Amino acid sequence: MKKILINLIIILLLVLLYGCTNSSKNTDNKLYIYNWTYYIPDQVIKDFETKYNVKVVYDVYTSNEEMYAKLKAGGAKGYDLVFPSGDFVKIMISSGMLSPIDSTKIASFNLLDPLITSKIAYDPGLKYSFPYMVGAAGISVNKKYIKKFSKSARIFENTALKNKMTLLDDMREVLGLALKELGYSVNTFDKGQLEEAKQLVLKWKQNIVKFDAESFGKGFAAGEFWVVHGYSENVFLELDPSMKAQTEFFIPPKGGPMYIDSMVILKDSKHKDLAYKFINFIHEPQVYAKIVDYLKIPAINMEARKFVTVSPNYNIIDLKNCELKEDLGEGVELYNKIWEEIRI
Amino acid sequence: MNHTKRGIFTTTMVILTLLFFYLPMAVLLLYSFNSSKSMVITGFSLKWYNELFTNSPFLWKAVSNSLIIAVSSAFSAVLIGTLGAIGLRWYSFKLKNLFQIISMLPLLLPEIILGVALLIFFSAFSFPQNLFTVYLSHITFNIPFVLLIVMARLEEFDSTLLEAARDLGAREIDVLMKILIPLTMPAIIAALLMSFTLSLEDFVITFFISGPGSTTLPIYIYSMIRFGVSPVINALSVLIVLATIVLSLFLSKFSKYIINH
Repeated sequence: MKKILINLIIILLLVLLYGCTNSSKNTDNKLYIYNWTYYIPDQVIKDFETKYNVKVVYDVYTSNEEMYAKLKAGGAKGYDLVFPSGDFVKIMISSGMLSPIDSTKIASFNLLDPLITSKIAYDPGLKYSFPYMVGAAGISVNKKYIKKFSKSARIFENTALKNKMTLLDDMREVLGLALKELGYSVNTFDKGQLEEAKQLVLKWKQNIVKFDAESFGKGFAAGEFWVVHGYSENVFLELDPSMKAQTEFFIPPKGGPMYIDSMVILKDSKHKDLAYKFINFIHEPQVYAKIVDYLKIPAINMEARKFVTVSPNYNIIDLKNCELKEDLGEGVELYNKIWEEIRI
Repeated sequence: MNHTKRGIFTTTMVILTLLFFYLPMAVLLLYSFNSSKSMVITGFSLKWYNELFTNSPFLWKAVSNSLIIAVSSAFSAVLIGTLGAIGLRWYSFKLKNLFQIISMLPLLLPEIILGVALLIFFSAFSFPQNLFTVYLSHITFNIPFVLLIVMARLEEFDSTLLEAARDLGAREIDVLMKILIPLTMPAIIAALLMSFTLSLEDFVITFFISGPGSTTLPIYIYSMIRFGVSPVINALSVLIVLATIVLSLFLSKFSKYIINH
């Protein structure tokens, strides 16, 4: 019995030792990345590790809110590179969490598509962030059941498709889609315009099964839903090749809300040089092409388009009429109220 | 007549309960061998197992983090908790009742409060959050469970054994090593398993206090929701269920051995 107790004590000490050494290793040649799930193929990270002979510590989050809350509460001290969406870049800049980006250190600074960069208002001139990916939610249609349809958000008004459609469970995406359909900005604070958008969404609501942000991809793959509103990757990753052939994805021609996820370097980062190396590595045209092939979304890096081998689910030009979601600030209350009235 | 009726009722209840327990696992097993990613069954395939073993480095990192934390925090919590239980049971000191109550409090406290409290505590002292802080927090919430289990066993302990030992000249340390610990061993092992399980499955507290490089399995699975839980997780779950069955079979043999010797 004595032996067991002694063993226990030894294990305890070893673990303590392990914990201590682990926490003091922060200054080593390691890059700490906090990113969305499945946003970078594992292979790209491995390639970066071998190329520069460093180690990448990689953690993931599921929403901007989660990431922001962790960083703000101090729970995530020690990360170097984070991938927030545009509106959160703005919030993080104003709360002083970001380190400015030296554009001379980024080789691909001029390779970004001006069609997209001209829309950036959250960080004019890209002083604190560098775009990683651009995209937008769209509408997936199962052509096996629906032979003829017009590519527009008005598809949700088709009563023949009643109870076969879903809209995202996302205030900004759904209201933005309606606002754009009516020809307004997705960031409007005009009460009249928002009221009109509300009436339009209420009309759509009568035909949809539910507002869904989690299982619409699976439901679409199973044939339960025929028309779903959401990000293409959520749908296409669930589909078999035969199913892919009969699925059409489109961004409404009148546009909708779009997003840019950017790479930002945190103020407390201890490995800024490594972070720059990573940003440059990601935007090397061949590497970047590999990532967009995996995500099947359009490349914002124009040079990388030459190396893309898989045709994306939509093209940059489809985003022409889309608008970036801005942080609403205090005005979010107005949106919350309308969204609540819709959801009741 | 009455007797057979009750028989039918009992059997139905048992069958329903078992179904309720094991049907989800059966579905999980089924889908882990499904060749399609969607919920439509298209054919038998081992590709998710292949994917799990050959192409999921971050998943395995999360699994190894979880195991390191679960094993180390379970052992530490049992060590501290057992000694604490013995102290609370056999020695009298000032404010003993108070200690007893406050040491049980975390058991009743909602996990989320403990999580937030730990988060604020660690960041107030700017303690870098990593695997080590996760380890400390898991010990924290495991100790009350160990105390509870071990003290329950000590309640029914025959104290004359200790008096006899002291009478025969055993030192305090001998009493602890040769009598107390061996006789409470079943409870200690139960506490160890309980702590291991609690730590392995904990999401709420870990969610708050995990920092760079300390993603555990529950956190990792949660973060996969964005793209729909991948069937790779089904495959991993099947393996974990298998490992649990093997472990519990082994332990039921092992604990009999311990009790008998």
